[in-house]
Parts: sequence; structure tokens; C-alpha cells
Amino acid sequence: MYRTEFPLLIAMLVASPFVTAADLARQDYILNCQGCHLADGSGAPGKVPNLKGFLGNFLHVPGGREYMIQVPGVAHSVLDNGRLAAVMNWVLENFSRDQVPPDHVPFNADEIGRLRADGLLDVNTRRAELLATIEKKLGVKAVTAP
Amino acid sequence: MITNWLDAITERMTRSVAQRTSRRGFLGSVGATLIGGAALPLLPVARAGGGDGQPAPPSQDPGDPTSCDYWRNCSIDGYLCSCCGGSMNSCPPGTDMSPVTWIGTCRNPADGKDYIISYNDCCGKNSCGACFCNRNERDRPLYRPGTANDYNWCVGTKSIAYHCTVTLILGVATTPS
Repeated sequence: MYRTEFPLLIAMLVASPFVTAADLARQDYILNCQGCHLADGSGAPGKVPNLKGFLGNFLHVPGGREYMIQVPGVAHSVLDNGRLAAVMNWVLENFSRDQVPPDHVPFNADEIGRLRADGLLDVNTRRAELLATIEKKLGVKAVTAP
Repeated sequence: MITNWLDAITERMTRSVAQRTSRRGFLGSVGATLIGGAALPLLPVARAGGGDGQPAPPSQDPGDPTSCDYWRNCSIDGYLCSCCGGSMNSCPPGTDMSPVTWIGTCRNPADGKDYIISYNDCCGKNSCGACFCNRNERDRPLYRPGTANDYNWCVGTKSIAYHCTVTLILGVATTPS
């Protein structure tokens, strides 16, 4: 009876994707972001912005979605648009799922390409404006401002 | 008319299948497929940084950790904590480990795998001065701060005084970086 199912199992083994998209996004986070943002996304108070339990709040205010990609660390990443989109979606899902609005549309390569080409000249001012709007609208403060 | 014809074909096929196979055989193959499918994720495949905490060290770890040529030191720029009263994984007494780090990959010559290495600086005392290494593989210029190792990476520590560097293994890289 094993005549029939061994080829089936072998076919499944060969076809099975050993490296999933989530594995790659996680590895891209580790190699490109984690050094500063840390394994849990919490950053360093006063030095590196916290992502954990906060990043998704930017999606609730005008310009926040764009800012998330325009910040230098993201816009200047060595990752291509597709892998960068995957990392950003992975970060939102893994570090800030509860803050992501229900109608959120994940990032894709085209949007990343468009936004990263339109970088910010004065990041700190933009960040301060967005954090003020977030605090006013959602009543939450950033845990660690840079 | 056509239904009779369909009935006949179906009956013939069913009887022929029933003669060639057993019900237990069918259940067995379904079971084998299900178990095989469920077992796939358990195969020993590298998963980058899978799980929290320090991953198990590689089974083969050749070389001398106090030598610049040691494989984990492939991107280092600084003093080896192994020569400064600490180890590859721990800071010497009187210093604390910077949480903010330089992360790269190094190939272990024993198993040919690329390991994700975190170069954490130990901070709080002046430069150790022993075993200075400057291999810089995949080091990037200062305008790529995330992958430039010339910076002082004592960030988030009580002191910014750099003493030495440890080489922590975060996992095995699943793809070349």
C-alpha cells in the first residue's frame, strides 16, 4: 500500500517552502532593524524609538502611514521595496497588532517605492507633530521619544 | 438511458477500486499524508532567531575565541571580551552589555552555515587594550549607521566608555543576507 503514498510524501517534501515569507521578513528585521530597535521592538529610551505596542498608532492619523516609511531608517534601508514592505507588515503584525486599525491595508512594494523616494528633511519636527496628533486623537503618549 | 450508462461505469470503477485497495489501506494513506504534512515543520530546518533567548551554540565551533581569525569575529572592530576577563558571550566584571548592537552574519567553517551574530559592546570601563581585531566583513561606511562598526555602540548603557565586544549567536540565517 505504500507504493502510492511515498511518491506523494516526497512530492510534498520537495514542494514545501522551507523558508516562509514570515521567516524571511523576520530575518530581514533581525539583520536590518533589530540592532537598534531590539528583538522585541522596544528600542532604547531617548535614543531609539519604541515600536512595541505603539507603531500602529501612526496609522490612525493623517500622514502617519507615510511617515512610517519616510523615516530615514526605513527609507534608506538596503532592502528592496518588496522585502521592505514585508518587514513593515511583519513589524506591525508582531509588535503592534492591537494598535493597527481594522481597515488597515498592508504595505506593498509600489507604495513603499513611492514613499521612500519622498523622504523627510526634518524628521524630529514631523514626528513631534504626529505624536501630538496621536495623543490628542487616541489619548496615548509615545513611550520613548528620541 | 444515459443514467444507466453512468451507473454502469460508476459501478465498474467502484468495484475495480474496491478489488485493488482496502479500506484500511486508504485510511493508512490518509494518515500517512496527514502525519507527513504535520511533521514537515519539525524537520531540522534553520529558522532565524527562532524562539526567545540565546539559541543553542552550533555543535561544531572550531577555532580559538581569543583569535581574530575565529569565525564569529568576521565583522568585529574592537577588543575581544574573551581576552579581557569576559567571554564570547559575557562582559567582563564592571561593564554592562549594550542592548543596541551591530548585527551581521558569519559563516561557521565546520558546518558551512551562516550564523547571525550580534556584536554587543561592553561598556563602563576604558578600552581593554587586548586582542584588538578589525576584520570588518560587510562593514559599511558611516552613512549607513546600522551596519557601520566604527561607531561607539555603547547606546542604552549607563556609561558610553567602550571596553570590549562580545559575539552572540542570534540564530542561523535562512538565506544569504
